[in-house]
Amino acid sequence: MYQSLLTRRYLFSKVMPLLAALAVALSVAMVVVVWSVMGGFLNMLLGQGRGLIGDVAINYPVGSGGLAHYEELVDRLEADPAIDKATPTIETLALIAMPGGSSKPVQVIGIDPDGFHAVTGFHDRLYWAPIDTPVKGDTDGDDLRLDMDDRFVVAGESMRETDPDTGLDRPAVVPGIHVYGKNRRMAGGYYLVYDWFLPREEVTISVPIITRGGALAKMESRRFPVANEFKSGLFEADANWVYMPLGELQSMLLWDRGRRLDSGEETGAFMITEDGEEIWIEREVGDSPARVTNILMKAAPGVNEHECERAAEAVYRAFAQDHPNADEVPPPKTASGDLRDIWTWDKKPGLAVFIAAVRKETTLVLVLFSFISLTAVFLIFSIFWAIVSEKTKDIGILRALGATRSGVAWLFLRYGLALGLTGSGLGLGLAYLIVTNINLIHDWMGSALGVEIWNAETYYFTEIPNAVDPMHAGIVFTGGVVFSALGAFAPALRAALMDPVRALRFE
Amino acid sequence: MNMAPILEAKSVHKTFRLGRVDVPVLHGVDLAVEKGECVAVFGASGSGKSTLLHLLGGLDRPDKSPEATITFDGKDITRAGVRELDQYRGRRVGFVFQFYHLLPELTVLENTLIAPMVALGRFGYAKQSGALRERASGLLDTMGLSHRLKHRPVELSGGERQRVAIARALVNEPTLLLADEPTGNLDQATGASILDALMRVRTELDQTMVLVTHDNATAERADRVVHLADGVFETPAA
Repeated sequence: MYQSLLTRRYLFSKVMPLLAALAVALSVAMVVVVWSVMGGFLNMLLGQGRGLIGDVAINYPVGSGGLAHYEELVDRLEADPAIDKATPTIETLALIAMPGGSSKPVQVIGIDPDGFHAVTGFHDRLYWAPIDTPVKGDTDGDDLRLDMDDRFVVAGESMRETDPDTGLDRPAVVPGIHVYGKNRRMAGGYYLVYDWFLPREEVTISVPIITRGGALAKMESRRFPVANEFKSGLFEADANWVYMPLGELQSMLLWDRGRRLDSGEETGAFMITEDGEEIWIEREVGDSPARVTNILMKAAPGVNEHECERAAEAVYRAFAQDHPNADEVPPPKTASGDLRDIWTWDKKPGLAVFIAAVRKETTLVLVLFSFISLTAVFLIFSIFWAIVSEKTKDIGILRALGATRSGVAWLFLRYGLALGLTGSGLGLGLAYLIVTNINLIHDWMGSALGVEIWNAETYYFTEIPNAVDPMHAGIVFTGGVVFSALGAFAPALRAALMDPVRALRFE
Repeated sequence: MNMAPILEAKSVHKTFRLGRVDVPVLHGVDLAVEKGECVAVFGASGSGKSTLLHLLGGLDRPDKSPEATITFDGKDITRAGVRELDQYRGRRVGFVFQFYHLLPELTVLENTLIAPMVALGRFGYAKQSGALRERASGLLDTMGLSHRLKHRPVELSGGERQRVAIARALVNEPTLLLADEPTGNLDQATGASILDALMRVRTELDQTMVLVTHDNATAERADRVVHLADGVFETPAA
């Protein structure tokens, strides 16, 4: 009883305990901010990685000759109850020439817009879509989307645009919002456009045609209107990826369906034209089926990606058995490690290594900051040691009144807990304020102080993660309270073991 | 006063160790106090009065010796466990110190109530909190402090502080009052009025009291005076 009364009175009667609470608050805030940002970074990476490529992918890169009969494979995959949707794509390197003459290397991804949306939610990533209210930070209403109709959404979703001059419907491309380097991200996450508003312009895409041996055969260039731009939040994709209609990319790569000719002496024949000219005619020996490099899949509701992966492997094995021509349907290489050509989204080569690295980095940073936060324990210890010295006479009085040693120890432990609770509570509040406004703070630091901590090219995302995980917050809060109690433990023990007569005589 | 003494000390020695030197303070003290009696232990500074009081109150233990006993109400407190001593101090003894020893963060009323809070524990106190507050307020009223209940010690005069300390010592209605120079830090007039109040309430409650003082006038208020010099009583103590 007396402990709660004295704890309340001690807590607010001196500056020293408030300083201790402040130290705890800063430590808790620091760890929560770090965990929120790094954990959020990892979660964003996992979430966006999954959003961009679906749950499971089958992959045969351009140099391997790709995968034929993919429409049949898609049908067979979608017939499996573990797989909700499947969609074919082609990924290859390309060069994009912007309005104004600049150009840069990019990764073009040929997609079927509706099928790709069904697997990855592509439509939701189209950036130029009308909004009703300004985003946080857009105090002047500068966001172009505020006065926009949905024409760019319609164009982006279909990846087609009507030529204003000829009235012809043309295939269009959707580059990432950072592919064009002059789209400037403002505080709050909206974009201002300088020089060219890409969705009203055209770009030239040049694709290298690679032979099956990996050699460059030729470059194929075509001009496309820009239907919209996409924003995934993953800087790597937003700055380097361009979506285009699958059929157009197949056509550019000569991967669309075609006739197979044989120019050999045994199968060809000379023919005399009307002009009397003698020409060698290659003989048609069959079809060359269209090809893709990837099949992306979305797991059925309630099915996890590993079950989906196993189902995809089984379907692909059966599919490959039915198509024994290895030039068209490569046999599955699912036996071991990196050679796998069917993988879950998080095992995608490159992404898997990066995710593992980020996981390790998150753990490392968290451990380091937790160790740094342990200084708060020593601070509490020092402050409590001083408080116990200062309260020596009080301890003597309480013992004279019959207080037990454990009662006196509990008084100071409780005091430490109260400081921990107060400090940890303040720290959580502070961390919440920092984390939820971290992008505004960062943008302000950039504009006012010229400091850029979060580099989108380094951290993959244009925005710093700004959500506090309640479970993480709870763990750090509990840690703050426990560490505070630990810091108070030795001083509390000292108080308990104090000789009451000496304590009463203390000056 | 033919009854058995309620408090009895026999062959009590106490030695303090200062660095490497043993400093004997009490050399075989014997004292018997009857129930309801007020005994003044009179002596010069450094004679061992306060040490004796601490031993009688269970704040300290005498030097270990088979002959040394301090018996209160028939129980030898020198052989009591730590918990028993805590309970003895909390429930049977009330201390009044020369320097008041109030808790600076608490109000007058809280400083008074802290004694039952400590002695009774959370649940014991909660059960009787209303009655205890009433008793504490009554005692403070008796001490002339009803208008000071919410004041902090720092806002009180020395005399007022000592009245609060007396109220705190009495609020648990202890059997034994131990007062260590209760007027030693006060002017004569204030000291006299404090002593009046203390004696009045003590008599009303029929409490046994051991009063340590070096002041003749204070000692004369007791039923009996014993002289302590260099750790031994100069006159028969019982």
